[in-house]
Amino acid sequence: MVSLNVNGRDVDLEVSPKMPLLWALRDLVGLTGTKYGCGRALCGACTVHIDGQAARSCSIMVGDAVGKKITTIEAVSGPVADAVKSAWQKLDVVQCGYCQSGQIMSAITLLSGNKTPSNEDIDLGMEGNICRCGTYQRIRAAIHEAARALG
Amino acid sequence: MTGSRHYFGNLAKFGIGVGALLLAISFAVNAQEIKPDAAAALAAWDRIVGVLGHPRCLNCHQDRIPLQGDMRRVHIPLVVRGPDNHGVGPMRCANCHNGSGNNETSGAPGGGGSGVWQLAPPSMLWQGLSSADLCRSLRDTARNGGRDGTALVGHVDIEPLVLWGWNPGGDRTAVPMPHDEFVDQVKTWVAGSMACPG
Repeated sequence: MVSLNVNGRDVDLEVSPKMPLLWALRDLVGLTGTKYGCGRALCGACTVHIDGQAARSCSIMVGDAVGKKITTIEAVSGPVADAVKSAWQKLDVVQCGYCQSGQIMSAITLLSGNKTPSNEDIDLGMEGNICRCGTYQRIRAAIHEAARALG
Repeated sequence: MTGSRHYFGNLAKFGIGVGALLLAISFAVNAQEIKPDAAAALAAWDRIVGVLGHPRCLNCHQDRIPLQGDMRRVHIPLVVRGPDNHGVGPMRCANCHNGSGNNETSGAPGGGGSGVWQLAPPSMLWQGLSSADLCRSLRDTARNGGRDGTALVGHVDIEPLVLWGWNPGGDRTAVPMPHDEFVDQVKTWVAGSMACPG
């Protein structure tokens, strides 16, 4: 029995502690906003927050997320999250949308640690999130827009 | 005296014999100027340097970007040192290299405990160093994290990220020398005043 704190709620799961967190979140907790892209921490589609820091849920085992605050795209909140979501909508960043939960979760972590990221900061911070539709220019612009809004 | 010629001849032979023996002893003493423990230290260093150059070690003793795999390619996705050696923003090392280890299908190694995964500090850059330079770097307390011989032995003995090199998981080759043998080589090297090649 594994007990997780997901989006502020405690959930008990009868699973092996070695199950990847992504599986638990999508299949058992029912939060399908986080996506499976590669399963190998190479694409970032599975990005969630663990204790506020971006983490690849495809790789982290459920047992290692016990006792930590897990936040998914469905519930991420706060001034940085609000600024990022607004910028994403304002600039119409999304195409197919598959990568975008991961992009947003990473962008929130980036801006939480650095309110005025340079283009190089954005390159290095968002390296782990791949977009097959190629919306990178809009992602970059939206991060700058969110930074502006955060003042 | 009929034997006097033989006596002086034998005396001469005896003298030459003693002289030769003394000469041989003096050569033997000179050969022992390199003390045995320093010679052993140099031999140990030859074996230590092979371990330090193994991908499991050298891949993170880099300048700004870690290398990856036995093929030692630049880390994919690109990650950089950052101000505290632990990466930047959402790309901090521990975000993918989970401190408790990842599930096996992930392929991303982990372990060693929370927040352990990192690039070695810049003073411990090893890439491109000759064996002699690497040896001097390792014993230089200004570059090796202030470690004396005892601390160096302790470092290779119990440091989690060092130990990972012997149990890396996936298809990564482990360091070929057994760990306890490697620790012994480091002890021998330290005992020989950390002698370095010319």
